[in-house]
Amino acid sequence: MAAGPAAPDGVASGATAAHGAPHGAPGQTGTARPRFTPPPVRTLFNSGDPTLALTPPLLGARSAPPGSAPPNPDPHDLEGVWQVQGYQYLLGPEPGVPPPLKDKYIKILERRIRAKNRGTPEADTETQCLGHGMPRVMESPYPIEIVQTPGRITFLHEVAHEIRRIYLNRPHPKHPRITFNGDSVGHWEGDTLVVDTIAIDPRSFIDDEGSSHSAQEHVIERYKKIDGGAEIALTITVEDPVTLKHPYSYKRILHWRPDIRPQEYVCEENNRNAPVNGVTVAK
Amino acid sequence: MRRVVFLSAGLLAMTAVVWADPPPDAAPGQPDLTGVWFIVHSPHALKTVDGSLPPLTSSARQVYEQHLSEAKRGDRGAFDGTTRCLPPGLPRLMVEKQPFEILQRPKVIYFISQDNRLPRRAYLNDKLPDDPDPLWLGYSVAHWDGRTLVVDSSGFNDETVLDDAGLPHSEELHLTERYTLASDGKHLSAEFTIQDPKDYTRPWTAKAEYVRRPGYEIPAEICMDNPAKRKAARRATEESVK
Repeated sequence: MAAGPAAPDGVASGATAAHGAPHGAPGQTGTARPRFTPPPVRTLFNSGDPTLALTPPLLGARSAPPGSAPPNPDPHDLEGVWQVQGYQYLLGPEPGVPPPLKDKYIKILERRIRAKNRGTPEADTETQCLGHGMPRVMESPYPIEIVQTPGRITFLHEVAHEIRRIYLNRPHPKHPRITFNGDSVGHWEGDTLVVDTIAIDPRSFIDDEGSSHSAQEHVIERYKKIDGGAEIALTITVEDPVTLKHPYSYKRILHWRPDIRPQEYVCEENNRNAPVNGVTVAK
Repeated sequence: MRRVVFLSAGLLAMTAVVWADPPPDAAPGQPDLTGVWFIVHSPHALKTVDGSLPPLTSSARQVYEQHLSEAKRGDRGAFDGTTRCLPPGLPRLMVEKQPFEILQRPKVIYFISQDNRLPRRAYLNDKLPDDPDPLWLGYSVAHWDGRTLVVDSSGFNDETVLDDAGLPHSEELHLTERYTLASDGKHLSAEFTIQDPKDYTRPWTAKAEYVRRPGYEIPAEICMDNPAKRKAARRATEESVK
C-alpha cells in the first residue's frame, strides 16, 4: 500500500468498520448510523492532492540570438534546426490539462503520476531508450532538424537520435508496421504541411506524464511558417477511439535556431535510466 | 481501420495541391549521393588495401589479441558496446550489413544508418573543432574533391573498435573517408584512411563498395527493442549502481 493520504472511499471505510471503528456503540442497530456520503472524486483535474502533483513545465526555447542567420521566408522550405517553445509534461488541449482520457485511462495516468511523485517512476519506453512515440517526441525540448529531399521530409531529433521519415503525397501502406513514431505521410495544403501518422506503438505514451494511447491512435500535425519564417505554428490533433473520449488539438510554436548544431545524444550510454524490476533506478 | 482507409483516400485526392520540390540536392555537375546504400561485402575484420593486417603498434596489438580471445570465449561485451546498444563507432558503422542512407544537402551531408537510426552530419567546407569533447561518432566535415566526397572526422572517444573483430583505436583517431560515385550512378566506392599514431605505426586504408537500392525505405530499427540487448544493458546497470 502506498504511503500518502488514504483514499476515503467506501471500501476503506468498510475495512475500518471491521476493525471496530466507532461507527456506533455495540447493541445499536445500523439505522442509527449517519448516512455515508462519498467524498468528491478527486482527480488531477480538480485535486489539491499532493500525490497527483504534476511536473512543472519548463520555459523551453527562445528565439535565435542576435546575429544568427536570418530565417528563410519560403513557406515550403522548412529545412533547418527548430526548437519547441515551452515544454509541457502533459499534452492535453491546454497547458496543465490532461488529454480527454476515458476514466479507466485517467486512473492509469494518476497511478503513473503517483509513482513518479513517490520517486519510483514506472519505466516508460523513453527511459528504456525504446522510442518516445507520438506526439510525445515532438514535445522534446531538444532541437529538431528538418531535412527536405525530393518526396521526403525527415525530422532528425537530437533527443535519443530519434528520427521521423515523412513520405509526401502518398497514402499510408495498407498494413503499416507498428513503430514507436508511427507511419507518417504528408502533403501541402497551400502553405501548410499536413502530416498524418498512424501505427504508433501502444507501449509509448502521448506525453511525459504517461497518458495512454492505443495502436489506433491517429495524429495529425499542421506546420505553417509565420513571422517571416522565424517561427512555425504547429497544431497537433490526437484521435484515439480506445483511450480518448473525443479527439483534441493543441498548439505549439517552433523557433528557428540556425545557431544550434544538434549534438550527439546517446540514450543507451546512460544505463542508470534502464529499469531494474520495472522501475527506473536513477533518482 | 476503416477511418484510416477513408483518410488515405482523402490524402490521395489532395495531392493536387501545390508542392514545390526543394532545390536540387546537388550543384550542377556534382554527383547526387542521396539514397539508400547497401554494402556489397561486410567485412568481419578490416584489412589494408593489400589484404594485410593493419599496422598495429605493439601495445595495440596486445589489446587486439585480448579482444580476439574475449570474442572467442563468448565475452564480446568486454570490448564491444554494441552488445548493449552503444554506438559501433567509425568506420565500423559504415561497413555493417545494415544499409545507410545519404541525404545530400548544400551545407550538410547526412548519413543515417538503419542500425539504431544513428545519424552522422558532415558539415561542408567547415573545420574540425580544435579541442572537442570526445564523441562516439566524432565530428565530421566534408568537401568535394572533384567528383569525390571527402569526409574528415576526429574527436572520437576510445570506447569503440574499428571493426567487428575488435581493432582498437585511441582518441587520436583521425578518419578520412573518400566516397566516389561510379558513372552508372548505382555504385559507390569508399576508402577509409585511418590515422592513429598511438595505435598504428602508419596511416592505412581499407576499402568498401556499396550498391544503391532505389525504393528501399529504411525501417525504424530500435536496438533496445531486443530482449537480449536489454538484458545486457540491465546487467550493466546493475553493476553500475552496486
